[in-house]
Amino acid sequence: MFQLINTLLIGITAGSIYSLMAISIVLVWRSTRVINFAQAGMALLSTYFGYEAIVHFNSFWIALPVAMVGGAGVAALIELVFMRLLVKRSSTGPIAAVAPIIATLGLLGLIKGIISSIWGGADVRLVGPVTNVGYSIGDKTLAFSPLKLLTLCTVVVLMLLLTLLFQKSNIGLSLRASAYSPEIARLSGVKVDFVRTLGWSLAGAAGAVAGIFQTVNGNGAFSPESIEFALLLISGFIAAVIGGLESLVGAVVGGLVLGLVISFVLMYISSSLFFIAPFVILLIILFVRPQGIMGVKAARRA
Amino acid sequence: MHKFKSSHHLAFFIIFGFILFLAGNRVDELRVYQGASIAVYVVAISSIILLTGYSGQVSLGHGALLAIGAYSAAVARNNFHAPVVLTFVIAVLAAALGGALLGAAAARLSGPYLAGTTLALAIGLPSLANQFPIFGGEQGVFFDVGFPPPSLGEGFTQYKWFFWIAGLAALISIWLVANILRSRYGRNWRAGRSNETAAALAGISVSRSKILAFTISAGVAGLAGALLSMTIGTVSPSAFPLSLSFSLLTGAVLSGVSTLSGVMIGAVTLVAIPEIADAVATRIGVSERFTTNLPGLMVSTLLILTVLFVPSGPVEQHRTRQARKAAKEKN
Amino acid sequence: MKAMNRRKLFTVCATIAVASLAVTAIPAQAAEVGVSSSEIKLGMTLPMTGTASPGYNKIPAAVKAYFDYVNANGGINGRKLTLVVKDDQYVPTLAVAKTNELILKDKVMALLAPLGTANNKAVAAVVNPGARGIPTLFVNTGYSGFADKKKYPTTFSILPSYIMEAKIMAEYIKDNFAGKKLGLIYQDDDFGDDALAGFKQAGINFDVKVAYASGSQSGTTAAGWMQKLQAGGAEVVILFGVSSATAAALGTAAVMKFAPQWILGSVGGDATTIKAAGVPAGVLYNAVGASFAPATTDTTDEYVKLFQDIYLKANPDQIFDNNVMVGMNTAFVTAQALKAAGSNPTRKSLIAAIEKSGKNFASAALVPLNYSTTSHVGYNGYWFGKYSPTGDLKPAGGVYTVYTTDSGNGAVVKSTYKRPAMPAKGLPN
Repeated sequence: MFQLINTLLIGITAGSIYSLMAISIVLVWRSTRVINFAQAGMALLSTYFGYEAIVHFNSFWIALPVAMVGGAGVAALIELVFMRLLVKRSSTGPIAAVAPIIATLGLLGLIKGIISSIWGGADVRLVGPVTNVGYSIGDKTLAFSPLKLLTLCTVVVLMLLLTLLFQKSNIGLSLRASAYSPEIARLSGVKVDFVRTLGWSLAGAAGAVAGIFQTVNGNGAFSPESIEFALLLISGFIAAVIGGLESLVGAVVGGLVLGLVISFVLMYISSSLFFIAPFVILLIILFVRPQGIMGVKAARRA
Repeated sequence: MHKFKSSHHLAFFIIFGFILFLAGNRVDELRVYQGASIAVYVVAISSIILLTGYSGQVSLGHGALLAIGAYSAAVARNNFHAPVVLTFVIAVLAAALGGALLGAAAARLSGPYLAGTTLALAIGLPSLANQFPIFGGEQGVFFDVGFPPPSLGEGFTQYKWFFWIAGLAALISIWLVANILRSRYGRNWRAGRSNETAAALAGISVSRSKILAFTISAGVAGLAGALLSMTIGTVSPSAFPLSLSFSLLTGAVLSGVSTLSGVMIGAVTLVAIPEIADAVATRIGVSERFTTNLPGLMVSTLLILTVLFVPSGPVEQHRTRQARKAAKEKN
Repeated sequence: MKAMNRRKLFTVCATIAVASLAVTAIPAQAAEVGVSSSEIKLGMTLPMTGTASPGYNKIPAAVKAYFDYVNANGGINGRKLTLVVKDDQYVPTLAVAKTNELILKDKVMALLAPLGTANNKAVAAVVNPGARGIPTLFVNTGYSGFADKKKYPTTFSILPSYIMEAKIMAEYIKDNFAGKKLGLIYQDDDFGDDALAGFKQAGINFDVKVAYASGSQSGTTAAGWMQKLQAGGAEVVILFGVSSATAAALGTAAVMKFAPQWILGSVGGDATTIKAAGVPAGVLYNAVGASFAPATTDTTDEYVKLFQDIYLKANPDQIFDNNVMVGMNTAFVTAQALKAAGSNPTRKSLIAAIEKSGKNFASAALVPLNYSTTSHVGYNGYWFGKYSPTGDLKPAGGVYTVYTTDSGNGAVVKSTYKRPAMPAKGLPN
């Protein structure tokens, strides 16, 4: 019974981080119709910005906003310089459909390489502002700590803010319109280019938060080769697809489902199978419901 | 489309093979070993050209298909003592089966969904090998093609043997792939890639042709996997990391993703990059960290530059330029 | 005419390929491979990056520091010692590729201290240095099989084998923790299998066994390990993994407030690496550990003093830890071996030298070397100690009680070995 509670807690906390990652992927998809495979790489880079902030200012609460701003900045830069050029040059030809995918993959490799060159091998750790030692109930320890509570709260708040922004505000409307029909949006007076960059920036900031909390929730160590990073990479994307790629709520649901499944596999089955679990879930979902849990069966697939 | 007699093509391959044979006798062990690696990449990249360039389906997980081929070959050899040629055939068939399954599942997907599924496959499948003892877990199993027959003489090294086997396999498979691409199937794939609706109206069963593309591509990839494990002697999950799938994709893009004739460019570049990186690093004398990362950085940069500036590949670019020049001259 | 263009393109590609292959012709090597009149080149493969690298990636700097010291004092028979290092990220297939590079491209005389059980086994099977006469000196693994001269004719062990370690550990457990429930964390490959074989031979039965796949160790997966250990009621847990796995286990256990009696195996027991990974010193306090070299905090020891001096002069912002100590010791033994190989060393003479005089080489260890014409076994024993409140390993009771045994059925005996004095200036004489 107690193990079950712990497994659920671990699953929900981890799942909330995956949801945040998934949200950033869905944000980019819905505002520019591109799947950004480099999202996790950008999140990792933002985490390193946070690390540098901790080294210089010794405060987690400075590091977090620094990472977010850094993440937003890097994302905006990439959108302005890289993606615009890409769309211009490769909208025709044999690889038109796959060019953005391949390009963002190349970007991921580039970011990983740059990170490894600058910080690689160094002993990089991020310590959270509160302890990660679990709460005690009697003589047992819960797999829930002040740090995990903080993670959950931050992620939930961020999710609510982003969803409100996207669904209920004018900016959100502009974002959605620019992706769906850029010409009409432009005719209606929407600054499409600015809005697209904004979409990327928001996603970059969200990714930064996911990266920071994924790191402090592990044991604080992170690197391009760490398991935590690999999890961020695949789970963010898989959670987004499971949720349907079209809705932020779907991203949240997808992230939680994934987090719980991985947690159960880790605790009850075997720690070496947990890497395959996301893939199996993805296959099952795509087979049964290709549009994702909350997706609409749209004619538009690409 | 160029009209080309099969016999011309065949003659070319035979001549090329002879050139390679001569070259193999003149160079030292390291170059011969690299030659074998180039052959492996040629086979692997051609499978991606078939799938992505001709059939328009992106696969980020070809590493997993190579893994299927490699493991099947290794198991056939270690547990059933199959002769080497048979192990390659088994590798092709097993991977083709995997490809057929994947193709069937993927026929309903496109663009990012397909990319994501194949990405998850690339990461998840090799670690599946940890679960079954027959695959040797994380450190894997050995794949030993045996020593060259004594009739070839004392100085005939193991590496040269690899070069011969891989080179011959590559020549045969490229010849086959080239012919398939020029056939009706190749035309169907190109039609389906350009415009699915129009292709369907023309009577092509698009989903069936997509699955066929996946199957054949996977079979070729399986052969590449078996050849790869021959050159490194072991099969383990860590031999098929995500970076392998990325490298192959890069090689395909560098070659020109829909141009088979460019396949050597991609393969040679992939093998040359670590060498060049090494030379550059020792010349400049940079930190240890940078040296380890330099090959990866070069591959990623090349990929991005190619997609941005030469998206159809150098061969196609050259051809377009020639065509434009010819058209201008005509006027 | 289009057909002609296509054929031209094919030919161009082919020519490029052939040309790039045929570019080099190697000038003939007069002397032994890797040996010139001014230099002896050795090659090492180990994880410099990757999940398993923490701690071990300090070894090349340690070896180079000692080699530079020797070079500054005249070298070995007038030749400078050079080390070429390749990063294999603890992946066996990469180890094979990098070793091939060392042999074919860098043309080293011998392979020095390649790290990893699975890596060394893959290299032995695929690259087969034994059949090619290439010495593999002082492998950085405790796999007992490498001491078998018939199977690995050019390979020399140096570390005590995992079977020896398990047997001596078993004695310690019988003496101190009899009747308690035992748990084990081990790596799911040849390294872990060798340890299991050792414990079986020593007659230890575990109540809980947790295997982890190499490369999967992290805070996330360690939670699963602790879960199993707790559920099994383990009171004494042996951590027989690499340093990063040990650190992940200890860190996660602290967070889950799970505190059994820890016993750290020699492979992952370096305190500096564990503390650098964020494990508080308090978690290590009173854990049991083993070593065959003097404790790195024991500055009364003449070898510790000299090695620390040499290392810190070359690497002032690093910490002198057990990985460095053992690395420099191996470099010291290697230098002696190369000197004993004669004024015109060859691969054959190097191997013969170690077999003939190896057991008399000076070394920092408190355990003797056992090389002979029939055996390639290096050290064969350990002393046990506990980690201090600051998390440093110190011998129990302040006195080194060394036990020796073999990898077979021999008993575990208290050693009477007295380490001879260090040669002048710590150089081969």
